[in-house]
Amino acid sequence: MLSMKNINKVFKTDLVETHALRDFNLEVKEGEFVAVTGPSGSGKTTFLNIAGLLEGFTNGDYFLDGVNISNLSDNKSAAIRNEKIGFIFQGFNLIPDLNLAENVEVPLRYRGFSRSERDKRVKQALEQVGLGARMKHLPAQLSGGQQQRVAIARALAGEPRFLLADEPTGNLDSMMARQVMELLEDINKAGTTIIMVTHDPELARRAQRNIQIVDGQVCDFTMYQGGQPQLVSDNVQAVS
Amino acid sequence: MFFYYLDLACRSIKKTPFLSVLMVLAISIGIGITITTLNIYKMASVNPAGERSDKLFAVQLWSQGEDSWDEFNPQITYQDSFNLRRGDIPVRQTPMFRTGGAIQTDNPDLAPILEGVRVTDSDFFSLFSVPFLYGQAWDKSVDQQAKYEVVINADLNQQLFGGENSVGRTLYINRKPYKVVGVVDHWSPKPKYYDVNNGAFNDSEQVFVPFSLTPIEEYQSWGNNQGWKHEDTRTVAAKIVSEQHWLQYWVELKDQHDVELYTAWVRSYIEQQQAPGRFNSPNADVQIMDVADWLIENQVVAEDNKVLVGLSALFLVVCLVNMLGLLLAKFLKRAPEVGVRRAIGASRAQIFSQHMVEVGLIGFCGGIIGLLWAWGALSLLAAKFELEQALTSLDMSMWLVAPTIAISAALVAGIYPAWRVCSTNPSIYLKSQ
Repeated sequence: MLSMKNINKVFKTDLVETHALRDFNLEVKEGEFVAVTGPSGSGKTTFLNIAGLLEGFTNGDYFLDGVNISNLSDNKSAAIRNEKIGFIFQGFNLIPDLNLAENVEVPLRYRGFSRSERDKRVKQALEQVGLGARMKHLPAQLSGGQQQRVAIARALAGEPRFLLADEPTGNLDSMMARQVMELLEDINKAGTTIIMVTHDPELARRAQRNIQIVDGQVCDFTMYQGGQPQLVSDNVQAVS
Repeated sequence: MFFYYLDLACRSIKKTPFLSVLMVLAISIGIGITITTLNIYKMASVNPAGERSDKLFAVQLWSQGEDSWDEFNPQITYQDSFNLRRGDIPVRQTPMFRTGGAIQTDNPDLAPILEGVRVTDSDFFSLFSVPFLYGQAWDKSVDQQAKYEVVINADLNQQLFGGENSVGRTLYINRKPYKVVGVVDHWSPKPKYYDVNNGAFNDSEQVFVPFSLTPIEEYQSWGNNQGWKHEDTRTVAAKIVSEQHWLQYWVELKDQHDVELYTAWVRSYIEQQQAPGRFNSPNADVQIMDVADWLIENQVVAEDNKVLVGLSALFLVVCLVNMLGLLLAKFLKRAPEVGVRRAIGASRAQIFSQHMVEVGLIGFCGGIIGLLWAWGALSLLAAKFELEQALTSLDMSMWLVAPTIAISAALVAGIYPAWRVCSTNPSIYLKSQ
């Protein structure tokens, strides 16, 4: 599903070169729920941006669903983002002037769906997250948890193969965080691959696999429900 | 997607009304000034002869002596006009000048009206494609055998005869009775190219009388009279035989071959005239010009007008630079939303198009308001500076030209801000929102 081999990402200024990712290797299989953890500045967000085709990389190979992502045109990248990837952000990132239905509709507009198809998918996605009755509300009229559910509906409306979530519960209280997490688990059970960046160890433990990124490199652990983490990477880093 | 972008543009404009009004104002003022000057320039630049422009020629003669004018005079003398009429190469030809008089009818209730009168030959009407409402021009024989016949314009016909068919009725010019033979159907070419000496944008005369009556009625010239040597021209009889230039002369020639033939014929006439001592300058010659060249030669479109259009275009550029700054501020403020749109599948081209549609909409609004400014400015010019109505009436084409210029100019101003916002890295804003 997702394969990154020896990915390097270097930010250059006149004086300094910063290696955000260094020989980064990762394989994610279809249907997996992967949690990505790591200290601030370790490269988690850079990884997520590259995985979501929002940023390029300096060198290496990245295959998404069998497609070589290196040197894709902006149009192709946008089309892949639109069709295969769904994004969920910590700050929800809903467009404040658009009501819920219009927010969810945005990616479908760019994909060129007909009005009837858009309406059907918007209704379906909002009902899936329990907000079918509030389609005409503006984001500001909702709680944080509800806004995040709208963001999830927006990500789901395009039926992506692959969900990228950047601290999706970071701005929510524990009860809402739990609800959102349960929703993500349901989505994953329905077959969508999820990669979630989180600082919350409890949420990370609920994922099938936990990856820690340190200094731009990956330490890969498989987590089993109720058991101890089993180290599978040679890059020995403990997971708390 | 266009209508989606249009919907987003409307929302965006509503969301920032103050900034949007500022931008619309900036572009509308630029457009208003540009359209005002452009309208005056365009109205002054019209070639009213249309398709016949290259068939109609103004004739000029270098009949002045040495140490006199150093260019062809736009008018010619009476004696040359009279003689040139004998030429048979032109399809049509006519001498003419402007006079005037008190116009009356048999109706005692109607006060005399002082009107400009054009003295000309019967060819005038077909040469300049003058449309007739009633009747026709006087017969060609009247050009030789003077008769008191007259053609009037529809407006005067309305005033004198209530707009009815007045052919056969009598009107009086300076108390002399003239029989109406034709009524012209509202004809007033702008510029008045057939006689640019007497106000290139004045209305056409309301009355036309035969040239052959000139020596009989001794019509006074109401136009420019230019002499190059001292002559006593206090009487019309003296003026007729003088070297004073006060008549316009137009010919219609079929093609270039006839132009050459006619030029050669006039040159031979000049040679004949040199025998009795006229045309004694070494530069003595003939110059004939079609309508387009004639309008340029006589600077009907003043050079100042062109400069003014250029300056107003520069002003529009200044307005656009201001608009560019405002757009940049507005669009960059929206970068986080653009980041979200990019993340969920919008390409750079789609984001660029979205913003360009918004800019186009602002430009369109600016164009419409600018048109209203232009209309106001032209009305003000007409009222305060008494500019001719032909120059200050808003040309219909401006309803298309103004929005087109406004949208195009706004799009040019919007390219950089739209490019900036669509080329920003979306990931920067996704985390920080």
